[in-house]
Amino acid sequence: MTTMLTFRRAAKAAVVTIVLGAAAALGNGDVRLQGAGATFPNPLYQKWVSEYQKVHPEVKIDYQSIGSGGGIKAITEKTVHFAGSDAPLSKKEIQALGGESAVVQVPSCAGAVVPAYNLPGLTTELNLTGEVLVQIFTGSISKWNDPKIAGLNPGAKLPDLAITPAWRTDGSGTTFVFTNYLATQSDQFKSTVGTGKQVKWPVGQGGKGNEGVAAVVQQMPGAIGYIELNYAQQNKIAFGAVKNPAGKFVKASPQTVSAAGEAAAKSLTGTVLVANIWNQPGDQAYPIASFTYLIVYRGLKNLKTPAEAEALVGFLSWAVQDGQAITTSMDYAPLSSGVRDAALQALKTITFEGKPVSTGGR
Amino acid sequence: MKRPSAATHMSEVDVQPGSQQAPRRPRSRGLGDLALAVTAHGSALLVFLMAAFLVGVLAFAAAPSFKRFGPAFLVGTEWRPNELERPKLGPDGKMVIKDGESVMEIIPPAFGALPVIFGTAVSSALALAFAVPVSLATALVLVRVAPRIRLGAMLSFMVEFLAAIPSIAYGIWGLFVLAPFLQRHVEPLLQQLLGDLGAFRWMFYQRLTIGGEVVERPLALTGRDMLCGGLVLAIMIVPIITSVSRDVLRAVPRAQLEGSLALGATWWQSCVAMLHYGRSGLFGASMLGLARAAGETMAVTMVIGNNTTIAASPFAPAQTMSSLLANEFAEASSELHRSALLEVALILLVMSLAFNILARWLVVGASARPSDAS
Amino acid sequence: MFWLCVGACAAVVMVLVLVVSYLVKIGAGSLSVSFFTQAPSGDVANPGGMLHALVGTLILLALASLLGIPAGVFAGVFLCEYGHSRLAMPARFTADVLAGVPSIVVGILGYELLVVPLGGYNGWAGAAALAFIMIPIVARSTEEMLRLVPRSYREGSLALGATKSQTILRIVLPSVGGSILTGIMLALARIAGETAPLLFTALGSRLITYNPGRPFPSLTAQIYTYATGPYPGQRALAWSGILVLIAMLFIINLTVRAVMARAARIRV
Repeated sequence: MTTMLTFRRAAKAAVVTIVLGAAAALGNGDVRLQGAGATFPNPLYQKWVSEYQKVHPEVKIDYQSIGSGGGIKAITEKTVHFAGSDAPLSKKEIQALGGESAVVQVPSCAGAVVPAYNLPGLTTELNLTGEVLVQIFTGSISKWNDPKIAGLNPGAKLPDLAITPAWRTDGSGTTFVFTNYLATQSDQFKSTVGTGKQVKWPVGQGGKGNEGVAAVVQQMPGAIGYIELNYAQQNKIAFGAVKNPAGKFVKASPQTVSAAGEAAAKSLTGTVLVANIWNQPGDQAYPIASFTYLIVYRGLKNLKTPAEAEALVGFLSWAVQDGQAITTSMDYAPLSSGVRDAALQALKTITFEGKPVSTGGR
Repeated sequence: MKRPSAATHMSEVDVQPGSQQAPRRPRSRGLGDLALAVTAHGSALLVFLMAAFLVGVLAFAAAPSFKRFGPAFLVGTEWRPNELERPKLGPDGKMVIKDGESVMEIIPPAFGALPVIFGTAVSSALALAFAVPVSLATALVLVRVAPRIRLGAMLSFMVEFLAAIPSIAYGIWGLFVLAPFLQRHVEPLLQQLLGDLGAFRWMFYQRLTIGGEVVERPLALTGRDMLCGGLVLAIMIVPIITSVSRDVLRAVPRAQLEGSLALGATWWQSCVAMLHYGRSGLFGASMLGLARAAGETMAVTMVIGNNTTIAASPFAPAQTMSSLLANEFAEASSELHRSALLEVALILLVMSLAFNILARWLVVGASARPSDAS
Repeated sequence: MFWLCVGACAAVVMVLVLVVSYLVKIGAGSLSVSFFTQAPSGDVANPGGMLHALVGTLILLALASLLGIPAGVFAGVFLCEYGHSRLAMPARFTADVLAGVPSIVVGILGYELLVVPLGGYNGWAGAAALAFIMIPIVARSTEEMLRLVPRSYREGSLALGATKSQTILRIVLPSVGGSILTGIMLALARIAGETAPLLFTALGSRLITYNPGRPFPSLTAQIYTYATGPYPGQRALAWSGILVLIAMLFIINLTVRAVMARAARIRV
């Protein structure tokens, strides 16, 4: 009989926990916002959230880095309040969201995809071209001491080691940017592997997320993977310089990425802002660069209260203005002032229940 | 009161408590009985509902993919979620040129499940090949040796605890310990020993189609491959095969064992007799392990390399049905992609159900035998 | 051959020791007080703790128990005490088969049934997915335990004029209550370690969450994200998380063993 008593006591405790929990959830007046999507800006977004909370303690924001594809899927199914994506919305995706007039998409910062490699014993930095990257990722160059790589790197001690390309297995904006860049370098790549958030690579090994690819590169001598600049920096993984259209070998950094983004400001109009900034002209421009975007419904039809609407628009506006100050310290490239203005203009068109929402926060 | 049908009665080996009904009681006292009966029947009904929802919902959601690909889905070798844009080739095999530019055509995404079915089949088979001999040996020790040296309880506990360690813990161990160990020590050694022998060449080289040409390349040994997946799975299914086999072997009548010993059999010969006697139950135990291996997700996703292609070599990265789901389900934004993944989930479900049903049938048959005799 | 078998057995034990000692070693090296007292800070260099995930897992387990234990126990009662019903064989078979469903498939079912229609990843879906895994296990273990109750208990009770429900609820169930509880504990231990069913249902969260209508944190999902991530600070948290999880499961298993051993002694 005692066991039945224990049983009842346990059940009672469980009920009390849940009732208390529910009460706690209802009791406070905090606004909670849910976001999901791109993994690439995740560290920056987490930092933004914690900085924003210092100014607005009543707003709690949770961003889950499930991948760009997942973010777009989640906002289409209205399972989150805002989404992050490394690839701009496609026409089909915009339609699924209710057409161009129903969506606001703004760049939040710019980033770079870098060819990170694991070559024990190599002391110099590797120089690469788009063409060589295509050949590596399609298998026509299979050894590190291949003359085509050696030709770009006179004097470098390249080992007689097999190359293992590492790539993303999940749908991701990183793959989108990288394949689009490679497609500008080779028509054959465009027609065999193609471009997209998830493609079928002929050779190599997959990893889930930036972190998965970074892990493959870190753990495997001879691996080369495309990952975001900040992941390479954070993990101290060596990455190469890439030849830009101006013929210069440029290494990715917040400065060289911003240089690529500068020219794009003019093309940003409307509420769904898109600019592809790979392969941009300019001596300083890093060629595999891209914006990352934040996506919300223009009518905020997935929010419930005006307080939520104000908090969301307030956070987004803060991010594209004050938030830019901390980008460089985290290896992301800030938006240039022209891009910021365009983003803010787009955010100002957001309404909730038909009324405009203040972008100034609360 | 309904009489139990002959069929149910036959299949119920154990005593049926409650089947001997007391005489009917006055209605007023039956209220509590009724409430309990309703609750119990309701809970049982819930079990049926769960199964129905599982199959129904998955089948419904997989319908678009099934309509689009039909049975060809099962044998399709390409899993490519993106569209391809490429120059259109005319009937003469040359690019179609219009207004001085080549005409482009869009190749839609392709979804074929064969690579992941292959991945699941091979990784599970590898796991069984490693796990079954070890498990049977361990079960024999548990039944015949351990009790005599008072280690039985201790060993049983250890084996069961091995089963209780969460999948993700094995994944982390596999990723940070086993995979690097295979990559640095085991695989290079195997390559040195076997790589130049013609019979094993396929293990260390891969055929690639590059620019329309087929070339043979040495495979990069990564440690995160089919072999590693199979090994981690083996470790994870040893406990279940061992504990079920132990129960099956315990059910072998003492007379069987003593008889063979009396006839002068060695320790091992009497073990063989036991194994032979319990063979269908032991086969069932292995099937249970197989079902577990086929459905295992987290650990496999972390170590198998996640490449959705068919490669013969155990040192090539692969993808199983469950790891494909873990990798892509949250990301699948197109309807067809999502539906194709759900069809993969359905195949996985049907496969593991088939293994399970077969296993239950064999194990129940084996362990029911002694009570049949009584 | 004898020694080969002993060797195989030793190998199994050795693998257990290897895995556990590795996980304990890396986990113990990074375990700190803040693990239990802080939520994530948002700063990758100094990531805070796993309080949110611990709270999340406990609430998910409580919710799953609330859904799963009554259904499981009563399904077990049905299987044993209403075994003459024509439903009994198919029900037992279905429960057995459900116990073998890959947990990731359960997660996908949860996504289709409770995430899309409810408009978002949420704790209820996670708890329901865990309950789904729990019910067949509890049902079968309860049935097994009830079968151990001698028929004389039931006959005696009925002979004294008790109704069937009184007999089952007051006599039969309590007499093996401890064993049923151990079955429940084992089921809880099983679902506490599950990750796959939560990936597409509760998703995860970096906030301490009490409302199951929202994306919900859990220890396992957080360990997975941190362990596969690139940040050393977060990885250290994942190591500690694994250690805490394994310690929890070890204690449950040990308790269950002790209870079962005692129960066995009493019965004999």
